[in-house]
Amino acid sequence: MPNPRKPDGSVVTTCAYCGVGCGFKAETIGGEIVRMTPWKEGKANHGHACVKGRFAFDYYRHPDRVRTPMIRASIDQTWREVSWDVAIAHAAAEMQRIQAQHGRGSVGAVSSSRCTNEEIFLMQKFARVALRNNNIDNCSRICHSPTQFGLSATLGAGAASQHFDSILQADVILVVGANPTEGHPVFGSLLKRRVRQGARLLVVDPRRTETAESAHCKATVHLALRPGTNVLVLNSLAHVVVTEGLHDAAFIAARCHPAEFEQWRALVADGRYAPEVVGPEAGLDPADIRAAARAYAKGPRSTIYYGLGVTEHSQGSTGVMCLGNLALACGMLGREGVGVNPLRGQGNVQGGSCLGSWPHMLTGYRFVTDDAVRATFEQDWGLPLDPEPGLRLPNMFDAALAGTFKAIYIQGEDPVQSDPNMNHIVAAMKAMECVIVQDLFLNETAKYAHVFLPGSSSLEKNGTFTNAERRVSMVRKVVAPLAGLEDWEITVKLINAMGYPLHYDHPSQILDEVARLSPAYQGMSFALIERCGSVQWPCNPQAPEGTEVLHTQTFPRGKANFMLTGYVPTTERVDERHPLLLTTGRILSQYNVGTQTRRTGNVAWHDEDLLDIHRQDAEARGIRDGELVAITSRYGETRLHARISDKVSPGVVYTTFHFVQSKANAVTSDLSDWATNCPEYKVTAVEVAKVPANAPASARARAGARA
Amino acid sequence: MSAAHGDGGGAVIAIERLVAMANQIGDFFAPYPHGQREEGVRNHLRHYWDPRMRQALLAHFDTTGGAGLHPHVLAAAKLLRDEQQATRKAYAGPPPRS
Repeated sequence: MPNPRKPDGSVVTTCAYCGVGCGFKAETIGGEIVRMTPWKEGKANHGHACVKGRFAFDYYRHPDRVRTPMIRASIDQTWREVSWDVAIAHAAAEMQRIQAQHGRGSVGAVSSSRCTNEEIFLMQKFARVALRNNNIDNCSRICHSPTQFGLSATLGAGAASQHFDSILQADVILVVGANPTEGHPVFGSLLKRRVRQGARLLVVDPRRTETAESAHCKATVHLALRPGTNVLVLNSLAHVVVTEGLHDAAFIAARCHPAEFEQWRALVADGRYAPEVVGPEAGLDPADIRAAARAYAKGPRSTIYYGLGVTEHSQGSTGVMCLGNLALACGMLGREGVGVNPLRGQGNVQGGSCLGSWPHMLTGYRFVTDDAVRATFEQDWGLPLDPEPGLRLPNMFDAALAGTFKAIYIQGEDPVQSDPNMNHIVAAMKAMECVIVQDLFLNETAKYAHVFLPGSSSLEKNGTFTNAERRVSMVRKVVAPLAGLEDWEITVKLINAMGYPLHYDHPSQILDEVARLSPAYQGMSFALIERCGSVQWPCNPQAPEGTEVLHTQTFPRGKANFMLTGYVPTTERVDERHPLLLTTGRILSQYNVGTQTRRTGNVAWHDEDLLDIHRQDAEARGIRDGELVAITSRYGETRLHARISDKVSPGVVYTTFHFVQSKANAVTSDLSDWATNCPEYKVTAVEVAKVPANAPASARARAGARA
Repeated sequence: MSAAHGDGGGAVIAIERLVAMANQIGDFFAPYPHGQREEGVRNHLRHYWDPRMRQALLAHFDTTGGAGLHPHVLAAAKLLRDEQQATRKAYAGPPPRS
């Protein structure tokens, strides 16, 4: 008898759980996936893996998976199972009816970073050729849109400057608003390895994260700043650099616009940003700010890694610019061991940004208002495109409430759970006439949907992902799509039903189209990626097998720019009624809104979201460890069990958002980044109170709680 | 449907929120010298905002004189209104010096 544990099939593919994009061998027995083995040849992970990628794959065959398209006339009706043809024809007819009645701009779409590059590209093509507008956004709107804006403004390219392995040549590692050992575990291990080898670690984070302090890894300096003071503190680091003459004058003269530097130097040299002034405001010791600035400037090779703790603020884009400015001032770009690197949350956030799924930009970060750029697409696609920017995702919800936005096509996202100020999102959803949700499961948003199109997981399709180091890797079909179609096939059907004839035999043809229409992807093809294993953009005739480190000779616009980054405090403030600051994040074993990982054995490690609160704040409120507490903001209320923790400072509370019943986003505000409308998830003024024992135990979101 | 943006018009965002958003953009460009400051806000409104949001802001400017808008955001709104056919290409870096 053959060994029943011996896999009879194996496919190399790319994990979708975070921006590291690890290579895995998905091994099967009789067509069922039995294990995920980290792939030794994977250039992002070199044979390493984390508990999500390694073990959390069973969701794909969970009984909750929807296997048949469904429609209903209104959200109070039960779903009716229909054929693909009926569902697609109905969705297209509804979109067309609504556009005829309410105008071309009354409908839109949002793409998912859990989908492939080819699928994201098709979503923006759907908006542009089928809806004939630019109302297309991607989920990085609510996470890393400030990265694209802030890094484009300073360095000229909205992406990481390095490859992951580059950190092994760094002498100083500055981590800002990120917790890679939990959020990006395989990269986090690499970081720890370098720290154990002697690199100095500087952490800027309100929490004592595992990155800041763990068994084998301790930050030389941890700036546990008050949530919302990033720009103030980063300007203070810059203040130390320029006032102590630590900047790299030769690099600035050769690689940057000198007048912009002088303007910036005058701004940050102002006494307002002196550590002795900033320290008390941000809850820091001025000596620590000086020590961090000196260490970073000294290098000789200093690198920056950052996450949503930088971007998800009302000054998110400004915070990203601060990091670009700091690296430029100290000459920390254009070689190994340095750079500015966003750590991306979902597997394909970088791809989501690159592939033109923006209301104001086409592929390659080029403006839709640019006639020459638009012309290349118009020629390829054979029709004139809307020359005006469209609505961003939060704008679409606002417009829905205003009664001028009536239909949305949502690919693999769950805005009701993931987007801020949940009461507002739910009201917007209810105001729409046609909500089309394409997902694996009936997620929270599907409660408000009229059409449900069952999508396919990354284990059921062919395509590519672009990870946080710009690496394009193959996603390969391990098992057949449970509902019959890969996501790109669904979108193609919908585009055809809307009256634009379109056909692809294989996703490789979509990547070929991307390559035709996107300078950074110019040389990309399935054949090249198959041959090289993976390829980092830019990939073009000058770099036929891709590029590991950016900005080595010049910046994309020639010289780099310093941007003026004045500190503007958020309008979200603590007061007597809301004296604590809530900040949110994620945990190692779970992924994002948890739609997938909650349906796996990984719940054994994390089965509910808890509220971390400092002993001092807990005692002042009579709260004991494990007790149910109510968290109230100006926007709403939710309930969680408290955990007394020394990882947060007094005045700060923290939770994750992996479980539906937690409703962390019932309390977050609808304040957002000035440049991109990226929500300010990281700062919400709240009060926490013990829930009386006789109160109903279930968490609830109280509508209309806005003060 | 018209050949332009092709929507039926109508508000997409409450004017109070648009004013707050425009002022946030103004706050960012505030440290720039006169000229660059207004131009930076204009570029942002022109190339990042849906035209319905821009038109609502300009209508507010015309009917109320721009109540609630910070002074250099008012100046940017004027630049935007006087230059309906944008000739200057969008840019992502600092506002050019005039």
